[in-house]
Amino acid sequence: MKRVGIVGAAVTPFKARWYEKTYYELAQMATREAVQDAGITIKDVDSVFYGIYNDIFERTAIPEHPLQGIIGMQNKFGIRISNGGATGAYTMSAAHAYLAAGRFKTALVLGVEKATDCFDFKSMSATPEVIKTIGWSGDSFFEQKIGWSASDSYAEVVLGYMDEHPGDLKPEITAQIASQLSQQVKTNPYAQRQFDQVTPEEVMNSRLVVYPFKELEICVYTEGAAALIFAEEETAKAISKASGKPIVWITGVGEANEHSFAGKNQKVMSRIMSDYYGSHRAYEMAGIKDPVKTIDIVELHDAFVHQLEISMAEFDLVPLGRADSLIEDGIMTPGGKLLVNPCGGLIYCGHAVGASNIMSGWSARNELINRKLKTALLHGTGSTVAQYTTCLILEHE
Amino acid sequence: MTEQKVIPAEFIPDVESKTVTIGDKDYLVANDAMFTFYQRSKGELSPFFLAIRDEKKILGCKCTKCGIVRVPPFLTHCPDCNFAPTKLVEVDQVGVMNSTPPITYFATSMFLHMAPFGRGRVILNGADTAVSVNIYTTTGILVPGIVKKGTEVKLIFRDKRIGEITDIFCIATSELTPKQVAKKGLQESQLNWEAAIEPELPPATDDDVAACKAAIKKLQAIAMEMSRTERCRKDIAGWKRDILVKTKGGEFAIQIDNGNFKVVEREVKFPDFVLVCEDPNTLLRGLAYRGALTDSIIMKRLWISKNMEFTTIFKLDRMARSLARTKKE
Repeated sequence: MKRVGIVGAAVTPFKARWYEKTYYELAQMATREAVQDAGITIKDVDSVFYGIYNDIFERTAIPEHPLQGIIGMQNKFGIRISNGGATGAYTMSAAHAYLAAGRFKTALVLGVEKATDCFDFKSMSATPEVIKTIGWSGDSFFEQKIGWSASDSYAEVVLGYMDEHPGDLKPEITAQIASQLSQQVKTNPYAQRQFDQVTPEEVMNSRLVVYPFKELEICVYTEGAAALIFAEEETAKAISKASGKPIVWITGVGEANEHSFAGKNQKVMSRIMSDYYGSHRAYEMAGIKDPVKTIDIVELHDAFVHQLEISMAEFDLVPLGRADSLIEDGIMTPGGKLLVNPCGGLIYCGHAVGASNIMSGWSARNELINRKLKTALLHGTGSTVAQYTTCLILEHE
Repeated sequence: MTEQKVIPAEFIPDVESKTVTIGDKDYLVANDAMFTFYQRSKGELSPFFLAIRDEKKILGCKCTKCGIVRVPPFLTHCPDCNFAPTKLVEVDQVGVMNSTPPITYFATSMFLHMAPFGRGRVILNGADTAVSVNIYTTTGILVPGIVKKGTEVKLIFRDKRIGEITDIFCIATSELTPKQVAKKGLQESQLNWEAAIEPELPPATDDDVAACKAAIKKLQAIAMEMSRTERCRKDIAGWKRDILVKTKGGEFAIQIDNGNFKVVEREVKFPDFVLVCEDPNTLLRGLAYRGALTDSIIMKRLWISKNMEFTTIFKLDRMARSLARTKKE
């Protein structure tokens, strides 16, 4: 298996609404800037892996097909990955596999999503229609018609966890994490909510959306794109030499998709086993025996603050049932052992679904280089009841 | 024959477009839709849905090898037993919650009218896996704590059934008589549903009246600020409501009219809905972003006459946040 590294990265501004651009232009923007960052041209790229979550957001059933020529990849390999919220992370996983197998030397990993073109004419606002659009992702025989939504589906898992660990995920801790993310986002000029800082008290005072999630503890819907340039070892070294930018290697990849039904031999509602398997498989591939000691940065798919805490426990970075130690023991507070979501995460940078995990990859790569740190854990979660996970280990050479 | 349409008319916009100007550039924004109609077969799931619709029975599938009973019967062969065949079996209509169910307060556009509602998974007696159903209560608004992990619940059948999962829902057996719990095929019309009963307010003292007048003044000041704030105006763009507010110290009105927001000391003859709070400061705190109005409803400090007006309450909560954000900038 060949080594694969990241040699270029870019994101567009993440915004609540891009009146000024369609997804065609957002995709091209991110591509233009990613190849420029790598110091190559699009002609040097052999393959493209599109991360686009939801056909309905893009208002077309094969949304990637117009992009092939728009981004200058005509007559080359192109494949779309669509895996719920974990689309971006799975897209990176797929690109890594093709390059590691020697099929291509370079790959463009391109995530793009619109969202707020959707509009509810009854309430005269976008959000209920955006949630409805995501609601079409629920099981069509048993779940959609009883009001399944991404929020209540993740809330099921969080409440399941709280059934087992009633003393964990305390409201004051989740509020503090949300507040901290809002501070961290200040240094991310591409973020949707760069200047939307909130205090823990404001988080506590925000309204319940789906119990137990409060409005300021959940990710926001976003439009935007993100792109990474992957290359196999020899090509990566040549690109890095020419660009003068270090390579960030992908040394571990792990994935898992759980059951979507619950009960005996099915989904364990108090756990996110996909996070457990995904992270531990990535650790094994990267040769990580002690993740607490090894990992410096976590760029985690924080759809909801409570889920961020559970995911960190499933990654074995804090004990299950003691996820509040992230704050109480100062593990992720400023100056703590772990830098968690320095970009502000999906809650503050924004959640342009297919692009989100790729944006997290952009952030992890930049933070590893700029802060001269060694190892990052990158994570994507998605589908009903936190069913899908992909984790990647990034290492700064 | 039903007159109901698969897409309710109120969701369907007119064919029109508008121009949005950002900086010195114009962008065209057009009303649009993606729609596909189906005559969709329920295939191998048909016995389950037919049994609900026609016989008020719940079916599961039992693996002929390991004996696991899956409800709903979502497969015909057991993947854990090298795809051994399963057979359909009837299960009980009482069971327990697999885990504490979430309650949705802010719903998708299709379910706004239902909010707040619960959706959870029930392991029926005789089953090993959980069926997802809506959860209701006969005691008023569904709040956390009524139904949790391990709560015994009973499946209830809609009076009018169409062969969908919405034909059934559940309520805690503690809200039923033993006879109702034992009855197979119990229907919604056989339950005692409390109508929305407006809470009675205690008689007002002079102090209460004075406190109400003081609160109205403060509310009017906030309303004026909101009407001048672009972000708040956007939150209630296209929205129109006359709300009658009843407090211990007196009544007043809230008017929402396409971006304009007013608190006025006058009677509303035909309000869109009634909002009751003993202490007008509950409303004041909500609009001042010192505690969400949604939460006040959940905590029973505030009462609204129509559940579907949660949408308006969300808009008021949103305006409170918008004003707080704007003040910080």
